[in-house]
Amino acid sequence: MRSSAARGMPDPWITVFLVATGGAVLLALGFSALYGLGLIGTRSSGLTLAHWQAVLTDRGFWTALGFSLGLTVATLTLCMVSALAVVLLLAEQLRRPPLGILIYLPLAVPGVVAALVAYQVLGDGGLLARITHSLGWISQPSEFPSLVFDRQGLGIVLTHWAMVTPFFVILLDRLMDHERIPAFRQLARALGASEWAALRRVILPLLSRGALPLCTVYGVVLLAAFEVPLLIGARFPNMISVEIHERIGQFDLTLRPQGFVMATLYLVILSAAWWLGGRWLPARGARR
Amino acid sequence: MTRRAAAWLLSLIMIAPLVVLSLLSVAVQWRYPSLWPSAFHHRLWLDLLHDGRALGLAFLASGLIAAAVSVLATVGGLFTSQRVARHRRHSALLRLAVLPFAVSPVVMALSLNYGFIRLHWAGTVPGLILAQTLFAYAYATLLLNSLWSARMVALSNLAASLGASRRQLWTRVRLPLGSAVIGVCLFQTFLMSWFDFALARIIGAGRVVTLPIKVFEYFGSGDLRLAAATGLLLMLPPMLMLVLNRKGLAWPLAHEASA
Repeated sequence: MRSSAARGMPDPWITVFLVATGGAVLLALGFSALYGLGLIGTRSSGLTLAHWQAVLTDRGFWTALGFSLGLTVATLTLCMVSALAVVLLLAEQLRRPPLGILIYLPLAVPGVVAALVAYQVLGDGGLLARITHSLGWISQPSEFPSLVFDRQGLGIVLTHWAMVTPFFVILLDRLMDHERIPAFRQLARALGASEWAALRRVILPLLSRGALPLCTVYGVVLLAAFEVPLLIGARFPNMISVEIHERIGQFDLTLRPQGFVMATLYLVILSAAWWLGGRWLPARGARR
Repeated sequence: MTRRAAAWLLSLIMIAPLVVLSLLSVAVQWRYPSLWPSAFHHRLWLDLLHDGRALGLAFLASGLIAAAVSVLATVGGLFTSQRVARHRRHSALLRLAVLPFAVSPVVMALSLNYGFIRLHWAGTVPGLILAQTLFAYAYATLLLNSLWSARMVALSNLAASLGASRRQLWTRVRLPLGSAVIGVCLFQTFLMSWFDFALARIIGAGRVVTLPIKVFEYFGSGDLRLAAATGLLLMLPPMLMLVLNRKGLAWPLAHEASA
């Protein structure tokens, strides 16, 4: 049987793939753009730029985007620093039980359950508040610093930090082995480098090269985080996914197109970032 | 000694969510400022079973949807990854597989939901399976790309040159050689769907009730004990994988490191 390519036709699996990936994104972009322009939807009244004007001049979208970016950078920084510390200090312990096994446990916790645990641990009546109370540091729950539903997003950062750090620990631990970092570290030390110089000149460059793609992936995932901010985030400011979800899902149908304008903007910005990232980051295939 | 203590402390932190959920699910009273529940009773788990119809349906729906998504995505990903691997624009196609995740599944689902509503697919099980498969299929294609190594291609060519039919190539060479990665892909796409809350909430529109949706409902209604018990049920499959093959649970990380 001759293949599709040999007959000059596109391969059906490649066609399905293009439709399911790029096609789906274009379709999403199309729907949200048309809805935002008032051309489709339950209350569409013909072409209008009013919703675009409302979103672009209102602080809602930019605040949500900035808030999401800030929390993402904070979470990623915390994750990288703590994972690096764990890998460098507890390398031996990571290879045997209990830590070698239990480090995988957070991988089994979905976002919605993580938010539930965070509420139970970080809330003003939660486990941390009870511990501080038993230590005599606080006398009533309201004295405990607000870590859930807080406007600074501390609860969101802490929850994501607890969820994502084990992933980074596993990745960095594998990279240490794969890049033979302990041997290079030893060599650098034998050649007279200080511990700090070995870390800065040898370990960090090797690890960052390997960890950058996954770091980018997690950055994008955290930027659009949904479950945790929806469950334990404040009403304002919102993370971007929750902001768009609330605008589109709210009862006031006249405001719904603004949600779609936000979705359009977000899809365009992230598509552009994906395109730029593809040019900047080495392609996985090319690295082989 | 300090490092051993730090490792034990970290281990305790890792196991803390499981302990908190387990305690919460059987605690009769756990009032502030008690560090420990004042009474336990497994009756709460029995209550959960008695709420059986709703929860049983959610469990069944989650399992069936995840199984369907997993099989569809893995089979599609298997054939697609093979075509992608030998395509002259291999790298560009792999980057394209990342696009739906890069632009956020939540935002995509919110935008695509308009089409799902128009086609009357919103709030239906097939609609949710389709939405989840879009993402799981892209992920499976990325994950199974590693299957098409030079060795696999050489062995396939050798078998073909010795007269193997296309069917034999798959059943005697490719599937046996790739069984480990295909197994991981089946499990991980199953988990993607099993854990999914966002698409189930948006596309499911409150009419398709899965386990994460039940956790959210119990949490929202303030019934933390039932939420904790349902959360534990949700964690059951990955915990099982953790016991059987923890590397399979973290496979992409291992692969990322060695790629």
